[in-house]
Formats: sequence, C-alpha cells, structure tokens
Amino acid sequence: MNKALKNPMLYIVLILPCLILFGMFFLYPIFSAIRYSFTSWNGVSATPKFIGLDNFTKALTEERFWLAARNNGFFILFSVGIQVPLIIFFSLLIANVKKLKGLYKTAVFLPSIMSTAVIGILWGFIYEPNIGLLNSILKVFGIEPLYWLADEKYAMISILLTNAWQWTGFYIVMVLAAILSIPRELDEAAAIDGASGMQRAFSITLPLIKPIISVVIMLSIAGAMKAADIVIVMTKGGPAGSTDVMATYMIKYAITNFKYGYGNAIAVLIFIFTLILTALYQLLVARRSERIEY
Amino acid sequence: MKMKRSLMLLLSLCFASSLALTGCGSDTNKTTEGSDSPKTDTKTDDPKSVEPLEMTLRHTQVGADKQKRFAILQDVVKKVEEENAGLKFKLDGVESDVNRKEKLRGEMAAGNPPDIFDLFGSPDSKVYAKEGKLLDLTPILDELGIKDKFSSLEPFTYEGKIYGLPIGGSGEGFFYNKEYFEKKGLKVPTTMAELDQILATIKSDGKVPMAGASKAGWVPLMLANQLWSRYAGSDVTSKFVKGEAKWSDPAVVKGFAKYKEWVDKGYFKKGELGFEYAEYTTQFTSGEAVLLYDGTWKSSVFKAGESGEKLIGKVGFFNLPPVDGGAGDQTSLMRDVNNGYGFSATVAEDPRKLAAVKSFIKDLFNEEMQIRGLVDDGVLPAMKIDASVLSSKITDDLMKEIVNVLNESKTSFPAFDSLVQADVTTEISNIQIQKLIGNQTTPEKMGEALQKVQEEANSASE
Amino acid sequence: MSRLIKKLLPHIVLMAYLLVILFPFLFVIFSSVKKDNNSIALNPFGIPKTFEFGNYVEAWVNAKISTYFFNSMYISILSAVVSILIASMFAFAITRMRHHKISAILGAVILVGMLIPNNALMLPIYLLVKKLGILNTHKALIIPYIANALPFSVIILSAFMKSLPSEIEEAAVMDGLNAQGIFARIIIPLTVPAMVTVFIVNFLGNWNEFLLANYFLSDDAKRTLPVGMVQFRDQYQMNYAQMSAGIVYSVVPVIVLYAILQEKIIEGVTAGSVKG
Repeated sequence: MNKALKNPMLYIVLILPCLILFGMFFLYPIFSAIRYSFTSWNGVSATPKFIGLDNFTKALTEERFWLAARNNGFFILFSVGIQVPLIIFFSLLIANVKKLKGLYKTAVFLPSIMSTAVIGILWGFIYEPNIGLLNSILKVFGIEPLYWLADEKYAMISILLTNAWQWTGFYIVMVLAAILSIPRELDEAAAIDGASGMQRAFSITLPLIKPIISVVIMLSIAGAMKAADIVIVMTKGGPAGSTDVMATYMIKYAITNFKYGYGNAIAVLIFIFTLILTALYQLLVARRSERIEY
Repeated sequence: MKMKRSLMLLLSLCFASSLALTGCGSDTNKTTEGSDSPKTDTKTDDPKSVEPLEMTLRHTQVGADKQKRFAILQDVVKKVEEENAGLKFKLDGVESDVNRKEKLRGEMAAGNPPDIFDLFGSPDSKVYAKEGKLLDLTPILDELGIKDKFSSLEPFTYEGKIYGLPIGGSGEGFFYNKEYFEKKGLKVPTTMAELDQILATIKSDGKVPMAGASKAGWVPLMLANQLWSRYAGSDVTSKFVKGEAKWSDPAVVKGFAKYKEWVDKGYFKKGELGFEYAEYTTQFTSGEAVLLYDGTWKSSVFKAGESGEKLIGKVGFFNLPPVDGGAGDQTSLMRDVNNGYGFSATVAEDPRKLAAVKSFIKDLFNEEMQIRGLVDDGVLPAMKIDASVLSSKITDDLMKEIVNVLNESKTSFPAFDSLVQADVTTEISNIQIQKLIGNQTTPEKMGEALQKVQEEANSASE
Repeated sequence: MSRLIKKLLPHIVLMAYLLVILFPFLFVIFSSVKKDNNSIALNPFGIPKTFEFGNYVEAWVNAKISTYFFNSMYISILSAVVSILIASMFAFAITRMRHHKISAILGAVILVGMLIPNNALMLPIYLLVKKLGILNTHKALIIPYIANALPFSVIILSAFMKSLPSEIEEAAVMDGLNAQGIFARIIIPLTVPAMVTVFIVNFLGNWNEFLLANYFLSDDAKRTLPVGMVQFRDQYQMNYAQMSAGIVYSVVPVIVLYAILQEKIIEGVTAGSVKG
C-alpha cells in the first residue's frame, strides 16, 4: 500500500529545487571558502598560491582575532545569561495578566520588525553624547555625559543592549505561545493543591517550555556567531577595534587588505566554531528529548 | 481595544500623508542619465555607429558637499556623449570609502568593474594593474600629448606603464576661525610654542580648540602624520617599508607623544571617537571648534550655498609650524595626488568604448577643467599650470591663502597610507591611533606595536 | 489591599518595560518635528512647541524613501513566498514520502546549513551571482534570499508535517489521491499556520538584510530600504531633525503593516514555536 508515496520521480522533483539552491548558496560558498582558505589569494588574481595551513595558524595566533572571538562570546553570554531569563520572566508575566494581554503581546514585538540598519541609526541617535536620549536622561540626574559608542568601556555593552532591545520581544512572543499552549487543567490542579504562583511557574510551566527555550538558545548562539550588521552600523568595530566581532575582523583585516585567502580562513573558522558550540550545547546541556531535529 | 483602534487611525493618517507627499517629491532627484538624449547628428558619417552604447561610470561625488565636483563631472559626461554618437553614460554614485574598499574590490575579483571608475593610486591601482584589470593609458596619453602635463603620475604607475590619472591634488593644514582669532588678538603661529599657547588660550576661553571626529582613523591621522613627519623628517614614512627607519624611533614617537599631549589637555572635541567625518566639519562651521585640521578640499565648504556659508571670508589656513629639534624641512607639507580615475581593461576590446575613454580623458584632464576644479571646488590641480594663470583665476581669499601656504612650503610628502603596506595602515588607523586617543596605549607602545606589524609586512613582501 | 497590589504589580513592571521599548520611537517622532539640533538639545523629551513639517518634505525628497520602500517590500514578499513553496515541497518529500534513509541524510545536511555563516561568505556568493549574470538586478537579491531562508523554513515545516498523524494520507490514498494530491490538498492546508510563521521570519530577515543589498546593487533606483537609510544617514547625519524624519518614514509603513497583520503574525509565531 501507499505506492503513491514511494514514487521516486516525484520525490526527486520535490527535493530538487531546494537542493539546487542549497548547493549553490550554502555548499558551493563553503567549499569555495575552504579551498581558498589554503591560499594567499588576493581576491583579484586568477592563480591563487597554495600556502597550506598558514592562514589558520596566523588567525589562531593573532591576538586581535581572539579579541573579536571574545566579543562573539559576549554576544552569546549576554543573550543566554541575561536575555533568556528576562524573556522567561516577561513571558510568564504576560501569560498571567488578564487585562491588556493583547497590547503587551503586540508592543513587545515592535522592535523586531525594524531593519537592523534603521535600528543602528535610531540608537546611534539615542547614544549621541550631546543631545542623545540617554545622556539627556543622565543630565536630569546631574550625571556627566557618557560617550557610549566612543568609549571602550561602554561601546560593547551599548551594542549588546541595542541588540537585546531588538530581539527580546521576538523571543518573548515565541515563549509566550508555548506557555499559553499548556493545558489549563495542569495549572489549575496545582493551584487547588495550594501551590503558589511562583511554585507553579517553576514546577509546572518551566519544565514544559524547556524545548522552546532550547530553540531560543540555539537561535541566539547561531545569531551571535554570525553577528555583523549591528556592529557595522553602530561602531564599525571601533573604538580601536574594541567591538570587532569575527565577521567584522574578517572584513577589516582580510577583505580591505586584499587578503581574501585569509578572509576565507576566518569564514571557515566561524563555521567550525559555530558547529562545535551548537554540538556541545546539544550534547551537554539539552537533554535528548529537547534536541532539535529536523 | 479602543486604544488599538485609535493607534491604527493615527498610523494610517501618517501613512496617508506620506503617500500624499510622494506626489511632490518623486521627480526632484533625477540624475543626468535620463535627462537629455545624446545628439546623434554631430559627426556621424556611418549611420550604423548610431547604435546605442552604454558605459558605466562609477563616481564618488555623492552628498551635499560634493555637488560642485559632481557638476563638473556632469558637464564632462555631456560633452563626451556629444562627441561619441549613441554613447550614453550610466552614472553610478557610491560613497568613496564603500567604493574603494567594498564595491570595486568585489567587482575586480568578479572581473566586471565599471568601464570608468574612481580609483586610488597607491596601493590599489598597482594591485589591479598587476592582475591585468586596468587599461594601460600610456598610448592614449602619448596620443593626446598630455603625459608630461601631470605633476606626478607615480602613484598610478606600474612597471613603467600608467594605469590611472589623478583628478586633483590636495594638501593638509589648519583651517582657523579668523573672526575668533581677531577678537582674541591671536596670530597665526610661527612656532610650535605659539601654537601651544593659542590652543591653551582657546581652551581656557571655554571653546573647543580643535575639531575631532575619529570614528574613522584616517581623520586624526592627517594631523598625526604631519606631526611625526615634522619630528622625524618628512621622508621618514617612506623609510619604514625599506627598513631604514622604525615606527619606534624616538623621533617618530615624539610625534605621537605630541598628539597625545593635545588629547590629554582636552584640545580636541570630547567624545571624538564616536563622531563621523561629516561632524568634523560641522564642529568648525558651527563655530564650536576654532581650528580644523583638514585637507584643502574642505575649502569648498566655505562658499555660497554650502554648509560653511556663514564663515565666508572668516576662514584662514596655515601650515603646522616648525617644531624644535625637528628633522628635515620644517615647512614640508603633506600633498597627495592619489585619487583619480581608472578604466577597465575590457574597454580595449571595444573600439567605440576606447574612443569614448579617449574623449573622457581629453575633456576631463585639461587646464580648463583643472582650474574649474580649483576655483569651484577647491581641489588643487593635478596638472602643471602656469603660476600666473593660476593666480589670475583665483578670486577667493581662502584659496589664495591656501595657494600661498603651498608655495611657501619647500617640499612635500605623500600620505602614509600610500607608502606603507595595507596591514600597517589597518593597524594604525583602526587600532593604534584610536587607542592613543582613548588613552589605552602610550606613544612608546604604539611605536613598538606598529613596528612589529611593519616588520611582518616587510618580510612577507620580500 | 494586598490583592490589588498583587494584581497591579505585573502591570507596573510590564508598563515599565513597554516604556523602554517604545520610548525611542517617541523620541524620534518628537525630534522629527523640531526645528534643529539646538531645539532638540534644549527640550529633548518634551512635545515640541512648534511643529516643523519641513523636515518631512526635505527627507522625502532627499531620501527617496518611497522607491526604497517598494523595492524592499516586493523583494521581501516574493522571496519569502518562493522559499516557503520550495521548502514545503522538500519538507513533504522528506517527512511524508517513503524514502526514509535518504531523507534522514538530506535533513541533516540542511540542518548544518543553519550554521553556515553565509554573510561571511559574501565573496563566493558575489562571484556566483556574477556568473549567473544577474548582478545589479533585483534577482541578485531575490535568489540568494530565497536560498538563505531555506534551512530555517525546512526545519520548521518538517517538524510540523512530521507531527501530522499518518492516518491522514492512508485515508487519502484510499480515496484515490496520488502523492501530488496529498501534498496540495491535504498537507498544505494543514500546514498553513506553520507557513505563516515561516513567512514572517523570512520576510523580516529579507526586510532587514543589509550586506548583500549594499554589495550587489549599484543603481540607486534599485536599492532597498536598509541601504537607502544608511546612505541617507551618511549624507545628512549632522541634521538630527531631518534624520529623525527619515527614520519615521522608514518605520511607519512597517508599523502600519504590522498593525494590520499583527493578529496573524503573533498567531503564526505562536503556531510555529509550539510545534518547532
């Protein structure tokens, strides 16, 4: 039975468009990057010179590359350590209020619909030292203006805050959905047993929404490793390279200096790091049942 | 629910009003491409050649401050289109840095640069020329007989052939607010001590002594480059590549130290690391900052209809004064002829395109256009022009002052980024100078860090 | 009393959060009708005393928001729709058709695609787009956007389709439907909620995309909104009032769209996340 669902011709027809595009825009670029990562290609020449692992040893011994990688780490730490608890907190709050639920749900999502480029401009305006919003608020409290994007001490955290502002609401809506899909009876039964709101949140809601939190964390890790746009529009990696992430490091040190071979090696490293991190997360942290499968 | 409906209403009103505005604004920003059709009847004996030909021209004349230069280009384009039947230029304006570092490089790699494009001489044109991406202009220049008319083609020369033409030159120095100087009884400094005194006076008056906008490293490096060249000699930068001098030499470090001293004393606009170059000019034109260290191209801002209109007649220009114990010529000035136009090697395959390129060179690189560039836009000529012709054409006081300063300086030197390797440029402009300004390094450490990168780059290129 | 506080407290906290979320928008709207930097500095939070709508006229003329907006809109929608079509075909094949071994491998390969930093692989993609001869046309963005959205779309849609009970198509086969019929008439309609989610995420991704759009198009008339806005900022950044007007232009249409679609959007994200 079910011969219809075995039809190999149809199977091929259905998977082919996806596979072709995937091959063109994912496999080909990554293989091309791997190939050029072993060369000293200048991006223009037709005959790149093979130099073995030199690009990789150079990157891995370069202090600035590790500083950039550390900033990607900050992105991950900030989103997993600070954003995720906030996301859960606000989702629980919204799930439990009776009035205005719709308003909250709608409003928190708002920043996520804006383009990163526009957000960079908007927040550049907020961080502006002389007439910007933040310093104007500080002035009310008699605090001297801070140079948010110009001071190494604050530049990275400023970017992280903006990034959090943009994406927290998006994840809140996802987590909220999971919470609202939990059968009411479970919660009510616990309430009858005398469990407080806090207890119910920890013993019933949280365990049940673990899979979706897992998704949020995975998306955060992948997003943090690829981050580039927000840094480019806000600080261009400055001041003094203090906010460079791996992708902007690649642009600055490789692409603008005619070192595409080196740049491709960095791209390959970003890929490998992401692969390792997500694999580690899946193996060590997420339990079998929470792993993401296709 | 009520709240939501009123919000919707407000938003739809906004949207409706923005749609209404479409009508007023949609056709104001037309570029030349579509405006006038080329005249086909000028010199066509063969009707076949009226076949349309499109060529792309990548320029960097975007933004309010570059309108004058764009007008010059548009006139040239029009003329070239008239001379070449059927030819139509597609003008593609891209911001200079984006073109240089992203767009053009990608296009070169892919093998499809525009036919004519804005090009930097050193090191860019040499890399492209080596890979055979640029049109060899030597025969065209010979034919037009203008090869010896340029003051220097060195940045665009590779293995004895010429691959690009500089559109203009520039020098760098201090623009100062004359009105303020007069009010405070200040005089153009002739020694470093006098300059220090002036800076201190302005600072104590509560004004910003020097504009500062160091988000892009090249901006503070204009002054820093001049400083280390004063202390260590104007030819010192060219010696780094050959290993004859070091970034960590005490004299070079003294230049960094002087810059740091000014930073520490608060002589630059505060928060400078967060400001873009556009704000650099604004700080000066708004009267907030009294001095502005910038290229001579900035003079075009102080003309009617431009952003520095208020300061017409109130701006002067002076060279960085000599320093005590400095090496070499103390009047030396940074001068550059590194930016101009290049042409795709593929142009040679099409005789009609080649003819168009010839017209373009003939119409853009001539005395008339060079003088117009100077008078309208403050771009110094890249071609040799008789001093008497020049002085008769300049009516603008600021321009006269600039030309005087340039004439008084006995020697000149090119900017560091056309002398050292790209890695060194990246290190100093993205990292070291910003660290120095942000108080994250010392002049000594900066010198050592740069020297380390320099030595790596030197050994790699051998 | 304490009951009231208990009831109000969550609202107070949430309102504070909304303030943080929405205040930047208000700040920009107020600034956009102030005369110049000086009047913004003197009265940063307040409702402006005089309304200067000139900023809007100038920004519209200078920034060409309308062109960029419609370019972005059609590119984002078209790409998002086509990716969903291709992804759902693929997802159907690997989850519902009987080629389990090969399907497992294909699924894993696509999952790895999620981790490929394709904005770091601009150059190979650039060369590819060049070879296809579509550089500086909107296809240079549409095709990569379709491709870029595939891994995410396939993952969500497969998860959803997998969760549908297999009795569905058994019944369908009984009714004499072939595989195409099962896909088009049974699975697709059932997957619509997940598709809405995927559409939203893809649309936002395309709408936000900056790097490719900045790199692959050079005609001003073809540019998309993010690139246009950054360009606008670079040219007019010393004029904050006018810049704010530009920001308002770029944001208001999206907010309107969101206001109209918000029920669907939230529903979509909801449906997707519960299953995914």
